[in-house]
Amino acid sequence: MNKATRPALVLHLSLLCATLLNLFPWPAPMLSFQPHWVALMIAYWSLYANNSRIMYVAFGYGLLMDVLMGSLLGKHGMSLVALSFLVTKSAKQLRMTSFWQLLLMVLVWLFNDIVIRATIDWLSFRHKPALVDLLPLVTAALIWPWLKYLVDRIQLSYRRS
Amino acid sequence: MESLKSNPKVTQSPLFKFLMLEFICMLLMIADKNNQLAQPIRNTLSLAAIPLIKIIEWPQQLYQITELAVSRQAQLIQENNLLKEQLLEAELKLQQNVSMAEENRRLRTMLGASENSPLTTSVAFVSNINQSQKKQHVVIDQGSADGLFIGQAVLNLDGVIGQVDVLGQHFAHVILVTDTTHAIPIEVLRTGLRTIAYGAGTELALTEVPTSADLQVGDVLVTSGFGNRFPRGLKLATINSMAVSQDRTFQTAQAQPFAQLDRLTEVFLVWPDQPVTSDE
Repeated sequence: MNKATRPALVLHLSLLCATLLNLFPWPAPMLSFQPHWVALMIAYWSLYANNSRIMYVAFGYGLLMDVLMGSLLGKHGMSLVALSFLVTKSAKQLRMTSFWQLLLMVLVWLFNDIVIRATIDWLSFRHKPALVDLLPLVTAALIWPWLKYLVDRIQLSYRRS
Repeated sequence: MESLKSNPKVTQSPLFKFLMLEFICMLLMIADKNNQLAQPIRNTLSLAAIPLIKIIEWPQQLYQITELAVSRQAQLIQENNLLKEQLLEAELKLQQNVSMAEENRRLRTMLGASENSPLTTSVAFVSNINQSQKKQHVVIDQGSADGLFIGQAVLNLDGVIGQVDVLGQHFAHVILVTDTTHAIPIEVLRTGLRTIAYGAGTELALTEVPTSADLQVGDVLVTSGFGNRFPRGLKLATINSMAVSQDRTFQTAQAQPFAQLDRLTEVFLVWPDQPVTSDE
């Protein structure tokens, strides 16, 4: 395997894993706390991608999510592309910031993602947004540091070998 | 377009990509919302989604198989006997029904009323897949390749559970009757009163019943067949509480569906026998 395809492989494997985690039927009490894994992963990869091609990836996985969730085609696509754009725009500065600032920024992006999806839901089917929709942010804040550490390690091991 | 090509920096900029992709998403959503123009795209993408669904389902199937292999023979025999008893009871009821159906048919011919055609059904299994959406959806393992169509009625042994909402090639999303955007034309079995039942989260809400109408707790609701979506006379729910609306113009009632909507394993899809004639 040459050097160009390896990062792409890691990228797609991690995103597919995130999609599976999103689909996994957790027990009912945990469901409302379930973070949007794909959005977390897209945020991570947009932060460390060197070009804005990651936005096409976000678009593709967004559409895949739409088909899996049976939502309006383009709903997840729209929120993920927006997320990816926000991250890539300031990725260089953000890579330098402290741990807490980055965590805060991730939460802001995920909040933005939730707001976009809630808006589309409301515009299309008049589903009323509720405060419960924000619960995934709590779990996302807990998961983000570990996720970042994990994927960092995986990337490092790939680079060394 | 010429100016764009001559200036590659514009097309390469993240902002341009962002706007372009968001525009595509917007077009897709409008096309999907209005008249299913995006169905071919959905069908193609759904092929890519199937392996993911299979991966989620596989450990669950494995668990069921091991459970079956490990469970004791005595337990299986007991279950078998229980099922045989149930079958006997069902057959007895069926015998009574045969004569009643015949009588019903004769009466209908005397009255000159149209006959109720028997339903054609097929079985589909529910995939246990998490849906992180506001809509109450369940995923079933049949899709447009199996001849499903949007708006097809979906039943359970206990009663109506919903209709096909989103179609993929080999799977479909069924919207449940309790979804807040769902409404179903119903008839009260005891009085023949016709109204509409709206989804209200975990149960159904009847909000448009006149105060003079005769409605009681415990009344059984069946589908009325209006709108040609659901066939007539399918069991739906039973009324468990009643009230008067705030401005005292209507009665409101809450109804509990017969089917346990959070514990679905297999469902029946209903096929109309012949294409519905234009205006009956």
